[in-house]
Amino acid sequence: MNYKAYMVIPVILLVLSVGILVNEYSQTGEFFKRSIDLKGGTLVTIKLSEPVDVAGLRAHLTAIFGEVEIRELSGITGQSLLINTNVDVDVDDFLDEISSYGVDVVESSTQQIGATLGEAFWYQAQMGIIIALIFMAIIVFLIFRTLVPSLAVISAVIFDAIITLALMQVFGIPLSLASLAAILMIIGYSVDTDILLTTRLLKGTGPMNERIINTLKTSLTMSITSIGALIVLILFGIAEVLTEIASVLLIGLVIDIIITWLMNAGILRWYMERRGIA
Amino acid sequence: MIKHWKVLILIVMVFGSLFAVGLKIYPYGRNGVQVIYVSPESPATGQIKQGDFITHLDDQQIQDMQDWKIKTLNLEGNRILRVNGRDVFLEFNKTVGIDVLDIDRTNLNLGLDLKGGTRIILEPAEDENVTSDVIGQVISTLETRANMFGLQEMKFSAVGSDQGGYFIQIEAAGVGKNIVDDLLSRQGDFEAKITRVVTLVNDTGIFKLGDNEHDLVLDGENLIVNSEEIEPDEFFTLDGIEFQYVNITDTGVFLLGKVYESKDIELVYTDPQRSGTQQLGPETFSFFFTVLVSQEGAERFAQITKNVPSYVDLQSGQEYLDSRIILFLDGSIVSDLRISSELQNQVYTTPTVTGTRTTLEDAIQERLTLQTVLRSGALPIKLETTSVQVISPTLGSDFFESAAIAMLIAGVVVLVVVYVRYRSFKASIPLVFIALSEVVIILGLSAANDMTIWGAVLLVNATIMGIAWWKKETIDIYVMIGAILVPLIGMSSWTLDLPAIGGIIAAIGTGVDHQIIIADETISGKKKQKQYDTKERIKRAFFIILGAAMTTIAAMIPLAFLGIGLVRGFAITTIVGVLVGILITRPAYARIVEIMKAKE
Repeated sequence: MNYKAYMVIPVILLVLSVGILVNEYSQTGEFFKRSIDLKGGTLVTIKLSEPVDVAGLRAHLTAIFGEVEIRELSGITGQSLLINTNVDVDVDDFLDEISSYGVDVVESSTQQIGATLGEAFWYQAQMGIIIALIFMAIIVFLIFRTLVPSLAVISAVIFDAIITLALMQVFGIPLSLASLAAILMIIGYSVDTDILLTTRLLKGTGPMNERIINTLKTSLTMSITSIGALIVLILFGIAEVLTEIASVLLIGLVIDIIITWLMNAGILRWYMERRGIA
Repeated sequence: MIKHWKVLILIVMVFGSLFAVGLKIYPYGRNGVQVIYVSPESPATGQIKQGDFITHLDDQQIQDMQDWKIKTLNLEGNRILRVNGRDVFLEFNKTVGIDVLDIDRTNLNLGLDLKGGTRIILEPAEDENVTSDVIGQVISTLETRANMFGLQEMKFSAVGSDQGGYFIQIEAAGVGKNIVDDLLSRQGDFEAKITRVVTLVNDTGIFKLGDNEHDLVLDGENLIVNSEEIEPDEFFTLDGIEFQYVNITDTGVFLLGKVYESKDIELVYTDPQRSGTQQLGPETFSFFFTVLVSQEGAERFAQITKNVPSYVDLQSGQEYLDSRIILFLDGSIVSDLRISSELQNQVYTTPTVTGTRTTLEDAIQERLTLQTVLRSGALPIKLETTSVQVISPTLGSDFFESAAIAMLIAGVVVLVVVYVRYRSFKASIPLVFIALSEVVIILGLSAANDMTIWGAVLLVNATIMGIAWWKKETIDIYVMIGAILVPLIGMSSWTLDLPAIGGIIAAIGTGVDHQIIIADETISGKKKQKQYDTKERIKRAFFIILGAAMTTIAAMIPLAFLGIGLVRGFAITTIVGVLVGILITRPAYARIVEIMKAKE
């Protein structure tokens, strides 16, 4: 089969992802849904001892305070509710209303972030991603010192990050400081697999197809161990931050397999055939 | 043995980490609770303070925080608490008012999100003109207040945002929002008093105050002033100035005259012309700042100091009054200053406070403290709360247990996947063990108070490398750097919060990936690529690993240094984890795989 045909798949994924983000932008004026730590608002996390009527609680709180969102987080260690709102509320009043609905708030954590601080975090988050990408690109160029393979690695990383961001929107995972950290990790992981592939293909010996298959085995073993460990972490649901980081990493790793093998491998093969290396 | 020196170094690091995390002295036993706050309503106020360990209630052992909560619910009557090994007798009336935390069982520096507590971020009100010096004043003020509250464990830090603004972060482990709110709204009562000693002859003396003279007569312990009888520690008023009769000393009657109180301090200058620090000589740093006091206060100062004799300080050659000025905040002495004789009898509304210290830091700190006290602990600027985070301590209590189980199961998953790939436990079991050892090392490096342990590890590592060199073993530059650098990292400590746990996961994830690359280059390649020997393949594996590790570190560096950095823990942990990986654990793993291959 022609490997060039496969390269269309990542491109379609990217186009779809950009579509999702642009659609989000046209509806809300922002490309990503940001969590309260990048935007400002109030978040209450409650560890549940008994089931709660989530829809009823949401209606109750929305009637009093305005738009309130509730997410459920469940795992082997128990169930938690994440209640958040962007409306300016008094935390004590908010907790009182939740407990008046019959939810035990003794084991609760609250987080309230002002709009200016949230904006400051958001600004820093954007700077963080941009600086990380620039640093990463410099190192990749230093490692390979050839244009096409370096560009292939960098574009694979950027594809991976954008598609992951779009899928986060689809799965309702907001961009937060934690998920941002996970995106930066994806950049790291993605470069890992790409460097492995590029090094093995450019510097390896033996027939091209054998080199690709051997590398595919290694790379898939790497991804599957990580994915397995992440699924364990998500199933345990130990803490919201960890579940969030693990979910984003999981999405990113799956996308990374697709990008690395359908796109990056293709580019490299095409590059080597043209240069007559293979 | 020394042939496997890379593996030896890994083993030394793992034991060093275990000691760093777990080696701990429990002066009053492992069970009990640690006091973090005693409220003013508590019957224990003044008898129990922050940091004390409570181990028994009426001779019954207290296990932990949960146990304490149950045992002290609606506590009534006369009870005995064993605090720091001694018995404290208290009468309770349902209000206990003692907040506690579990005794730390490890040296890990746990973050608020794991330990429970309150984090508040403040920002200056919009119309305030803020400089870094003002922010320093604010933090000094809050620290002074926290000390008055008995909350020494509270952490204050200034964080700048990239757009030029400032934020102030307060972290209080184990206490609720109400206590922090109290702290923020609290203001102290400031008083400055000048000492006067009146000499007595046959139990009578003359107290010269300004232009007036007053007769003092001693009657047993008591003092008679204007036919009024004053007991020791009591107050009386002369010429509109409040005096306290403290006691009788060898030289005479010791009096304290109040010159200023909170309302007399109109302004404490903080601009560089009127407030600063300078170096006078080696180990001599002086600080100074000017205060604007009320006309009445200045007049009282002139009156009290008028008739005081002076002396020459032989060290500095300066002339000072025999009287000193003592500063009180909420009734406790906070400082005691000399009065330059130039100020004697002067109605001077802008006095300057000066002093010297042996280091610049001490001089700055002393200036900030005194400025804070003079403002009666009032904040120099208006602050607004921009973020509040309250974490219930119980939310984090079972965290480590579930995290450990999750980690073990994840380890099993990895073991299975790697076994399926290579059909060999020779690669997969060491791989999982190395990954777990990485977790232990990262935790050990982050732990606090471990100078001696990591110092010892450094010495042992150096010895191992010395012997390896002597025996002409192969040199590995990565491991040599790692054996020195990693224990040095261990000497510092950082906070383990939830994002940092995420960082451990990330570091282990990359670690496992890299070990798979090594395993792959050595084990699976053996049949087809005969032209490479094992060393050559491992060298190629390290090229890939090093490149990948460098990019990961590069991606994390911005997160570690960005201003407010709530995910700094994630970045630091990942960077340290990756460093430990390339410098210690991966070379050891490669060596183990080599050994196993050689045995085939």
